[in-house]
Amino acid sequence: MWPTKILNDHLAGLGNALTGLVGVAPHARPWANFVVMELLVALILVVMFALLRPRLSVDRPGKLQQTCELAYDFLRGQAEEQIPHHGVHYLTYFGTLFFFILFMNLIGVIPGFESPTMNPSVPLGCAVATFLYYNFVGFQANGVLKYLGQFAGPMMALAPLMIPIELISHLARPLSLTIRLYANMYAGERVTMVFLSLTYFLVPAVFMGLHVFVSLLQAYIFMLLTMMYVAGAVAHEH
Amino acid sequence: MTRKFFFVLALMLLLATMAFAQGTSAPQGGANWPVPVAAGFSMAIASGLCGLAQAKAVAAAAEGMARNPGAAAAIRFALLLGLVLIESLALYTLVIIILKVG
Repeated sequence: MWPTKILNDHLAGLGNALTGLVGVAPHARPWANFVVMELLVALILVVMFALLRPRLSVDRPGKLQQTCELAYDFLRGQAEEQIPHHGVHYLTYFGTLFFFILFMNLIGVIPGFESPTMNPSVPLGCAVATFLYYNFVGFQANGVLKYLGQFAGPMMALAPLMIPIELISHLARPLSLTIRLYANMYAGERVTMVFLSLTYFLVPAVFMGLHVFVSLLQAYIFMLLTMMYVAGAVAHEH
Repeated sequence: MTRKFFFVLALMLLLATMAFAQGTSAPQGGANWPVPVAAGFSMAIASGLCGLAQAKAVAAAAEGMARNPGAAAAIRFALLLGLVLIESLALYTLVIIILKVG
């Protein structure tokens, strides 16, 4: 892709410096397609909200404000439904996750751009971030000992059975989040490509339409499952 | 009306001869030949079972919405969540195929 090529030609040193921060050996062309597309999506989101902020108005809302209010109402309703009373505290993370994954999924539909979520590293990053976030929120809301006490189950006698089961199920959460998002995006693109090689030029547009619907649904499901995990983590024993 | 029908039929039959253009390919040997075969069978089984499970979910949801239209929003939410979780099980098989075949 041409932005990747430009960055690799001129800013390879910066790329190697950034990967060197975590101990990766220098590479000839360090910028990957998915990294550049992620940065582009982040830039698009920042620009969109930077354009929104000065145009906010109570008396005469513009189109962008009304669209964002629709999205905000939807996200807030979902958060309050999943986490009663406290959902709004965590809405910043849920909303950011939803918009980021949604825009990353949808940018692949535009010819010439590639979905960063097609690469398994990107959904893995989102899933690990979600895992760290819901555990951190659980520690914050319940205290470390009480949160870890949730793993033992309802009765202490069941603890030797419940702890391995709970550990495995908690570790399976980022795995399933990653694979669900990655496989949906990758399969959507592959199906379109395979049908493009089998039949005429515009027929795979049907599969691309299905891919758009699946992108929306997968972004929503990622956010919904994050909300459910946070709800389980902050649940107070009444 | 019948002339148009026969014209379209003749056109389809003539276009069908293009299927004979592909020659036969010799079967490939190699020690890893069961892997693509197993991949095809496993994906078919996973997709078939996923289809059955999703059909049960949709049937139950449709009946619930028909009995109680007021609860349609909640039932639709549960339906979507269930469909996505069942779909993800078939996708795990696809990921194994992507990793192992190629």
